[in-house]
Amino acid sequence: MSRSVSRALALLVALTVLLAACTGTTSAPTSQAPGGGAKAAYGGSVTFAMNSDISNMDPMLSGLFVDRHLMYAMYDSLVRVTPKGEIIPWLSALPTISADGKSYTFKLRTDVKYHDGTAFDADSVKWNLDRYRTTTGSLRLGELAPIDTVTVVDPSTVRVDLKAPFAPFVSVLVDRSGMMLSRKTVEAGGADFTRKAFKAGSGPFILTEAVKDDHYTFVKNPDWWGKAANGDKLPYLDTVIIKPITDSDVRLTNVKTGQVQATNAVTGKDVPTVKADPNLVYQEIAGIGYNSLVPNRAPGFLFSEPRYIKAVSLAMDRAELLAKGPAQGVGVVGYGPLAPSHFAYDASFKPFEKADIAGAKKLVADVGKGPLKFELLVSSGDAATLQGAQLLQSQLAKADITMDIKTLLFNEIVTLQQQHKHPGMTYINWSGRIDPDGNVYDFNFTGRPNNDSAYSNKEVDALLDQTRTTSDAAKRKELFLKAQQIFVVDDPSRIFYSFPAAQLLTAKAIQGFQDFPDQLPRFETVWVQK
Amino acid sequence: MTTYIIRRLLLMIPVALLVTVGIFVIIRIAPGDPVLTYAGEDKDPVTIAAVRAELGLDQPLPIQYAAWMGRALQGDLGRSFQTKQRVLEAIGERLPVTLELGLAAIFISVSVALVVGILSAVKRNSARDLLTTSATLAGVSFPNFYLGLLLILLFAYIVPGHIFPPGGFVSPTKDLGENLRYMVLPAVTVATASLAVNLRQVRSSLLDVFGQDYMRTARAKGLRERAVITRHALKNALIPVVTIIGIQIGAIIEGAIITETIFFIPGIGRLAVQAIPSQDYPIVQGVVLVSALSFMVSTLAVDILYAFIDPRISFGGAEA
Amino acid sequence: MALPVIVPAGGTDRWYVFRYFIRKNPRMLVGLVLLGILLFVAVFAPLIAPYDPIKVNISDTLEPPSLTHLLGTDDLGRDVFSRVLWGSRISLSVGVISVSIGFLLGVSIGLLAGYLGGTFDLLAMRVIDALLAFPALVLAIAITAALGPQIQNAMIAIGIVAVPGYARLTRGQVLSVRSREFITAARTVGVPPLRIVLRHIFPNIANPLIVQATLATAFAILAEAALSFLGLGPQPPFPSWGQDINYSQRYLANMKWWMSAGPGIAIFLAVFTFNFLGDALRDALDPRLRRSG
Repeated sequence: MSRSVSRALALLVALTVLLAACTGTTSAPTSQAPGGGAKAAYGGSVTFAMNSDISNMDPMLSGLFVDRHLMYAMYDSLVRVTPKGEIIPWLSALPTISADGKSYTFKLRTDVKYHDGTAFDADSVKWNLDRYRTTTGSLRLGELAPIDTVTVVDPSTVRVDLKAPFAPFVSVLVDRSGMMLSRKTVEAGGADFTRKAFKAGSGPFILTEAVKDDHYTFVKNPDWWGKAANGDKLPYLDTVIIKPITDSDVRLTNVKTGQVQATNAVTGKDVPTVKADPNLVYQEIAGIGYNSLVPNRAPGFLFSEPRYIKAVSLAMDRAELLAKGPAQGVGVVGYGPLAPSHFAYDASFKPFEKADIAGAKKLVADVGKGPLKFELLVSSGDAATLQGAQLLQSQLAKADITMDIKTLLFNEIVTLQQQHKHPGMTYINWSGRIDPDGNVYDFNFTGRPNNDSAYSNKEVDALLDQTRTTSDAAKRKELFLKAQQIFVVDDPSRIFYSFPAAQLLTAKAIQGFQDFPDQLPRFETVWVQK
Repeated sequence: MTTYIIRRLLLMIPVALLVTVGIFVIIRIAPGDPVLTYAGEDKDPVTIAAVRAELGLDQPLPIQYAAWMGRALQGDLGRSFQTKQRVLEAIGERLPVTLELGLAAIFISVSVALVVGILSAVKRNSARDLLTTSATLAGVSFPNFYLGLLLILLFAYIVPGHIFPPGGFVSPTKDLGENLRYMVLPAVTVATASLAVNLRQVRSSLLDVFGQDYMRTARAKGLRERAVITRHALKNALIPVVTIIGIQIGAIIEGAIITETIFFIPGIGRLAVQAIPSQDYPIVQGVVLVSALSFMVSTLAVDILYAFIDPRISFGGAEA
Repeated sequence: MALPVIVPAGGTDRWYVFRYFIRKNPRMLVGLVLLGILLFVAVFAPLIAPYDPIKVNISDTLEPPSLTHLLGTDDLGRDVFSRVLWGSRISLSVGVISVSIGFLLGVSIGLLAGYLGGTFDLLAMRVIDALLAFPALVLAIAITAALGPQIQNAMIAIGIVAVPGYARLTRGQVLSVRSREFITAARTVGVPPLRIVLRHIFPNIANPLIVQATLATAFAILAEAALSFLGLGPQPPFPSWGQDINYSQRYLANMKWWMSAGPGIAIFLAVFTFNFLGDALRDALDPRLRRSG
């Protein structure tokens, strides 16, 4: 055989061998131990999959939900929440609040050190809060806007004075705005800190390796201050690895083969499979976010007529949309922004429980301007959302409402609705906040930045303002529910239709992993059954 | 020769300028305000204004371009709006991944093209020839995103044992075996698209060579057919094949875009596809610049190489 | 070595051309038949499609292929076969329109650059070089994103991306015929330049351009499918092959292969048809290839 031909054939042979060699490396699933109430064991490692890569490790500059997966492992915040949504002490005791509701005093833990060895104290708290609320380009400016001054009273006491009473203030400090970072490390990091936040936190785990699009490795912080209810020193695990895996099928395959032991993102179509898998444990609770359609109520636009909004709301079959739409049954049907895990939730509030075709037709006829026809803007390329939109389209058609779907780039939709220029409706999810205020106020109060429907109702404004100045929970709940009746039913601001679920899928050997309504994993209580 | 190379390099400058101005304008025409997305969920007006100034997007377009170009000339392509990562660093992290995919694909495609091309050219117009040309046509006509999905379906789900994963990437420094296992399906997907072009090139340049006088002379000398093909035909026919490999290396980024998207490979093509709709201007500008430069440089390299292999070519004043 | 193919002028028999193709260029005939089928499907889709392609039917979602639904149903219970038939309209119109855009722009630039030469040639060719240096798909995505993710904008984007191919080919051809005697003669007798370009040069360089346009149609259909796959195609619920494959991707691991099989094979057949036809045309029209066999 000639030289060139044989060389070419040799390449082929080499390739075939290569292919064959590659097939031999599938890794075996990890061994499973039977569950039970055994005593928690120390050591071991857990690999957790999230559904996309993070953008930013700096709580000040982070604008994506996914970033917070890492932050809960590496940073501590001043206060935290329980799975039930109650605020609990963390780096600080619960603050004492002055009678006028404007002054908050935080008593800090004195046994906390950052991973870089520097101490956590009142100066550090002041530096962090001031950094978040005064730096140009900080994304925490809005949340911390109620703060007037931060004062160091003594090394373990900080007083925060507000410009005006603001009942939900403490809830803001649960998350990014309340996360405490080492000044030394942040300043040394400079512009690159956003991606290389090693040793900046004081949390239960220390970030040791960050490989973009691949994995983030954390090792146990042996000096962490936290203890379990039974007195065990936390955390149990030696190592935590967080991996971004964008494709849901790849993610699930990784969990099934044991390369990943936990994830909080399972698509609806796969839920029956994982529930049936004896090697996996699936938990699901109602989240704190909501899904909604946002009509443009600005004068001159179609939906400045509230009866049209109500007609669409009546014609929708929310149960079918949840069951057959992109969620495939994962989540809870909803009618307003107050989620089941909020203290202000009212389970009996079901204004549009069944689709009311006749009612919808009658409302459109009452307006008397002919059939209702509008445009729904949907982000292009988002297959799941488009599927849901087409389902909704077919539901509304039954009430003779024509909904055209128009795909635009996500940024354009955001811009249009921000300027209140979208012709019909847009489709928007809200990731949710712990206090109902974070789900309600900015979306319904006249002129607020997230009030994309250009909604304005004096009565709602007045009620919502009262929820901020009243600190009594029962009173606040009553006010929220009153407002909700108006901006959902009587004079609708937008169409709320479901709450997403907070999911948690773990391998059977993984113990102590709690599902939180905010969907974020907390690794300090997790342990591996040997 | 040297003057020719210098001339070509100089010609790259206006082209690179046109490319950068072009992409700069195109991505800014798109309606939608990136600041609103990058300013986080709360959309506080003060925050938004501050972020806009921070990103330099409050300046007029020509000034934005001049500022970007000025920094680019000093080797600084800015930082991603989304991640604040240096654009050069982001490209540097992903380029090796795309190169691995692209080179693996070229390797597969060229090996197959050589074998099949030779076999089909030798017996021109035979049934086998018709079959191979139709098969290559089929290969080039197959939408590679659907091919990718089919391969995933077959090897990741239907064939028992999950021979190949449905997507993802493992760094070769971490686990070379796993890295290759993850690369097989995407590389085959990319290779199929270029296979037809390579095969056609091998075949037609062989056919071209067969028609030359020295082939007839060789045959007349009584050399056996196999010897004629290997000693005379292949050597001359490979010149255009080398060219086409060079061009494909220059177009690796382009070829990997869809495949990287389907297989969730963190390469440079996927970076661009994600950055355009989300209006991460510095990333888009950086990727387009790097990709255009690599295309131009590899085209030049191919032309120079060509001149070395084939002495008949000279570079007088000929327009490139 | 095969003998050169020469089409004898003026057969007396009316079936002569047909028989010629059967004997000498059967591929041409196969290509034309395939094209005919494609056109038939696109034109008569409303008559041959068994179901309404956009009618949601929530009780019949994700049904595998059967006699009632030849290619199964999608996640909204729509008949995949009907959607595939209707989808041909988008693909073919994108093919034709974007190729026309690219052809008109590219050939005009090429003709002018080749005929005029000088500064115009220099400038035009730098712009063409720049277009060529762009990664084509990135450019197409960026243009579509800039103009808005709608199908007519995708057509424009695909057309623009194809311009350099035509321009370079045309220019090269013009340069090769510009100095021939008949052009020089026409110029000496005072024929206006535009007339020379259109009446004398263009017909003499048309053959390779026709081949290029046919192959470009294949590319355009593929590019449209790719853009639609990335979400930059027609507005839902209108059926588009690329978009339907995008929708189906979510169900791959659940083995709902039929959602993508129909549109995937349809894209393949359409692209194959034009590639096949282009190849056959090249064999028939390109004198260089005719010589070498």
